[in-house]
Amino acid sequence: MALLEVEDLRVAFGASTAVDGVSFSVPEGKVVGLVGESGCGKSVTSLAIMGLLPKGRGRKARQPVLAAASEPVGSGLKATAAAPQSIAASGGRSRGGADVNGRAVFDGTDLLSLAPAAMRRRRGKDLAMVFQDPLSSLNPVVPIGRQITEVLERHRGLKGDKASKEAANLLDRVGIPDPTRRLKEYPHQLSGGMRQRVLIAIAVACAPRLLIADEPTTALDVTIQAQILELLKDLVETEGTALLMITHDLGVVAGICDEVNVLYSGRVVESAPVRELFARPTHPYTIGLLGSIPRLDLPIHEPLTPIRGSIADVIRWHDGCAFAPRCDRVAAPCVEGEPALVGAVHAHRCVMAEEVA
Amino acid sequence: MLRYTVKRLLQLSVALLGLSLLLFAWFKALPGGPENRLLPENATDRQREALRAALGLDEPVWTQYGEFLGRIVRLDFGSSLSSGRPIATELAERLPATVELSLAAMLIAVGLGIPLGYLAAKRRGTWIDFGTVSGSLLGTCIPIFFLAAMLKVVFAQELGWLPTTFRLTAGADFTEVTGLRVFDGIITGEFDIAWDAVKHLILPAIALSSIPLAVIVRITRASVLDVVGEDYVRTADAKGLKPSTVRGRHVMRNAMLPIATIIGLLLGSLFAGAVLTESVFAFGGIGSFVYQATTERDYPALMGFILVIAVFYVVINLLVDLSYGLLDPRVRVRK
Repeated sequence: MALLEVEDLRVAFGASTAVDGVSFSVPEGKVVGLVGESGCGKSVTSLAIMGLLPKGRGRKARQPVLAAASEPVGSGLKATAAAPQSIAASGGRSRGGADVNGRAVFDGTDLLSLAPAAMRRRRGKDLAMVFQDPLSSLNPVVPIGRQITEVLERHRGLKGDKASKEAANLLDRVGIPDPTRRLKEYPHQLSGGMRQRVLIAIAVACAPRLLIADEPTTALDVTIQAQILELLKDLVETEGTALLMITHDLGVVAGICDEVNVLYSGRVVESAPVRELFARPTHPYTIGLLGSIPRLDLPIHEPLTPIRGSIADVIRWHDGCAFAPRCDRVAAPCVEGEPALVGAVHAHRCVMAEEVA
Repeated sequence: MLRYTVKRLLQLSVALLGLSLLLFAWFKALPGGPENRLLPENATDRQREALRAALGLDEPVWTQYGEFLGRIVRLDFGSSLSSGRPIATELAERLPATVELSLAAMLIAVGLGIPLGYLAAKRRGTWIDFGTVSGSLLGTCIPIFFLAAMLKVVFAQELGWLPTTFRLTAGADFTEVTGLRVFDGIITGEFDIAWDAVKHLILPAIALSSIPLAVIVRITRASVLDVVGEDYVRTADAKGLKPSTVRGRHVMRNAMLPIATIIGLLLGSLFAGAVLTESVFAFGGIGSFVYQATTERDYPALMGFILVIAVFYVVINLLVDLSYGLLDPRVRVRK
């Protein structure tokens, strides 16, 4: 059994669904990617696993104005930046709270059914998370040393000099020069790349078995991105930590992941080992994603092929494929009921896959 | 931090100098100069001239300003036109009562306001939130003199739980050190005096605290709501920290920044409210002094009062700025 098994995870903010039955697994020591565009539910998935979504109260949350549930998919394509997207962008911290269902079995325990106190004892210790924006993710009024030692104090019982020494070791481990001096500094005194290294140091402080990285390179320069990816790769290889990499960047996936799950509109539409996915993309959405990346091996004037429209703000899987309105190969079977995930090692959710291939 | 402090002090002296100029110009522009107040209505022009010369009012304006500045630096505000006693002495006698009252009111406002505001934010949308917010709205609506009078009628006169007027029971034998009776009682070991002073403080302090309490509740609520949505609070949660650590180190330390500013501003404005409260409880602070000076056109007394209050404001502002430096490392001047 894999280290983390996510089964049929569903997250709803009131009446709007953000994640609609996502299943995937992260084997021990492997790097698994969760790929998709903004609003597909990847951040919400990671926050749900970590137990960081505000609790729903079982009653309907107030609907954001734009996300009228009755809105047909077609019109939803135009005005896009609506509810699930903004909820995902704000990390799911909407007012109403989230209703989370399904299972996320980590090392034999279903994290979703753990009591809050029990989950707090595991968070930061057995599973840890690196966030997207390193400036806003660090407390501006607390020295970074304290932000590292507090997690050492909480889960490893280290205090005072021992904790500081260990914090300096961690900073050194993530490649920050002159760590002892840096401990006393505040986040605004560090560069973006260094801040992300500090966040990584916090995440790996207690040698977690699973690290979740939510777009860890999005807010950084390209050169710094490469360094941070290199650092994550190195940590994973030397410590044997499993990594769940959440990204919209297929370049990152190709560079670091062993396996990939492509998410669209709150569901996995394709999952495969990384080489397999790049060599034989099956779902039209994956093909579209790959087609929209600039390639060095094609003639310079060859135009990129974008995917038409944008992600719908209301998830519609029950009466057909949610990608159908944007799909070039859409046919009658696509809108006749829910498409199932087919295949084992290389799975996809497209009824037209044979024709596509 | 030292450089930051020095810089703030320099800015402060510039502000005070500007204030003295403004104050001087204002008093020059007021109609009906002090000689009219001192002389009988049927005085001759020669008598007026003679008095103007004696008071130095015939000198060039800049010389008068220089004189004025020199005197206020030595804390010499002249003598009160109504009592004839030095104004500095009058103020020094009355100020401690007002300071003590204002501090007590602020203690209540901060001590209750921050926890209540936090609770309202945490229980947002529930009846606790609703009750706290509407209560604070009520607090800002009730006029202080009315609240003070009601408190006095109910708790002092009807129920008899607390004294109605004055700062101590009449005839109490106490040692004066700073003039802050509670503080003096504690440091001199006269605990019965301190307790007596506390009992006399409670009602006026509650009355005076109503507005700052309401403001602090609302600012705290808004500030906490702002901060709990921040990414760094999520990071703190992701570390699996105890809720008390997340609350203290990550939420409140950041939420305190706007609250500190408001507390400083409110402390200054409490002096204005103190005038009303003091008169209801015959508290004997600067309130009655100012009232008298205004009605009797006692310019030197008013000038002394305004200067002292201005210095208070400026010093409080300095303290707020310094607390900002302590609370928020980003404010500190770079090395």
